[in-house]
Amino acid sequence: MSRTLDSALSAAHATGDLDALVGLYHRAATDANAEDAAGFYLTHAYIFALERGDPRAEALRDHLVFLGRESGPPAPGLDQPAAGAMGGVRT
Amino acid sequence: MTVIDPILADVQKPTSQARGLPNAHYTDASAFAEERDALFGAGWAGLAVASEVPQIGDAIPITFLDMPLLLIRSRDNAVRVFQNICRHRGMILVEAPRRIEGAIRCPYHSWCYSTQGQLVATPHVGGPGYNSHADLDRTTLGLIEVRSHVWRDVVWINLSGHAPDFEAAMADVIARWGDFEQPVHHGGADSRFSLTVEGNWKLAIENYCESYHLPWVHPGLNSYSRLEDHYNIEMDGLTSGQGTKVYRQLRDEAGTTFPDFPGLDAKWDAGAEYLSIYPNVLMGVHRDHAFAIILRPDGPGRTHEHVHLYYAAEDTDDTLRRRNAAQWKEVFEEDIFVVEGMQLGRRAPGFDGGRFSPAMDGPTHCFHRWAAGRLAQARTVEA
Repeated sequence: MSRTLDSALSAAHATGDLDALVGLYHRAATDANAEDAAGFYLTHAYIFALERGDPRAEALRDHLVFLGRESGPPAPGLDQPAAGAMGGVRT
Repeated sequence: MTVIDPILADVQKPTSQARGLPNAHYTDASAFAEERDALFGAGWAGLAVASEVPQIGDAIPITFLDMPLLLIRSRDNAVRVFQNICRHRGMILVEAPRRIEGAIRCPYHSWCYSTQGQLVATPHVGGPGYNSHADLDRTTLGLIEVRSHVWRDVVWINLSGHAPDFEAAMADVIARWGDFEQPVHHGGADSRFSLTVEGNWKLAIENYCESYHLPWVHPGLNSYSRLEDHYNIEMDGLTSGQGTKVYRQLRDEAGTTFPDFPGLDAKWDAGAEYLSIYPNVLMGVHRDHAFAIILRPDGPGRTHEHVHLYYAAEDTDDTLRRRNAAQWKEVFEEDIFVVEGMQLGRRAPGFDGGRFSPAMDGPTHCFHRWAAGRLAQARTVEA
């Protein structure tokens, strides 16, 4: 992660700027050279998007599911029953 | 019902012979813990009012009987109560009132819950970047919901989960005030206030139940509401209180009053009633306004009283509404010294629970009788 991005993330965490956190972690995932790192950053982007009720959550979740890092349906629509299918589960 | 404890048996005797609950029930932590289950947990207790969470996502953490609870208006516009803890490591989820825009994220490891309580995300639970695990079934790890019901804007909870449905449990009191089964409108920010009393919660109930003290503690009421204008209300096992036959509406200089609740029986033209609904909700109804007071015990020796005033219409005169709130606040503040004085009195070893006036203290004894019965029942079940 670049120093600039790292600084921006620190600032966003310090101010609780969820909008920025979603974007910055997503960027960190995109920039990552390794899938594990991308999965880590995508997870953070997804969680902060969920917390914010941000529509980006759905695409982030789809990406995690594609990488086998999040369980299958349903979509992240909050207030839906939690995931029952176990696709992409690491055991 | 078999009553083993002779003291509880004494409390349940006829009013003329009974004595009140002993000191320990006002001062001891162990008695407080016993009451938490027997008096609060077994039935329906008041927690808050729905108007405190007017918008979807509004969430308020409430410590109730030492338990961390969360009052929330969920995405489906339902008022819900959860235990305010993450199912992972028991961390407190929401520390201060706020609006949940999306998910409730635990501040510890960021497990996320919907406003309806489902566990929707478990980041890194399967290792870094892996957010699921076969041994962790999210469908079984939602927030722990507390059974709740909203009546007259009060959010009632049943901690045990085993009480009869609210409307069955409270059928008699709902029927008594059937004329008032219609929308009530919270008066807003100027119609809510809180008082903290250095006294056991039961003393606030007991004082509210009876009219006996009115001429002495509220002499201002004497000018138009005499002791003989009041009557006792006793509904065994449910509620007790008092009524008046000379309620007089508040008016401003121009003669403006609050609008009446529509369709009331003529008995409410000058009638008003005040009920202590067991265990901890004090309510009052009048032709033109109502109130609810939620008592939240803070240990055996302190009680927080949360007062909310309601009207028949959404828009009421600001000045008149503020005057009404100030008037009631003055009355409730006048009661504080007696509650605190009786609390101090419970430190006297010679006090045996006291006696009741057969004529005037029926409603207070009705409450004691209910409490003693519930305690005896709980002890019988335990035994």
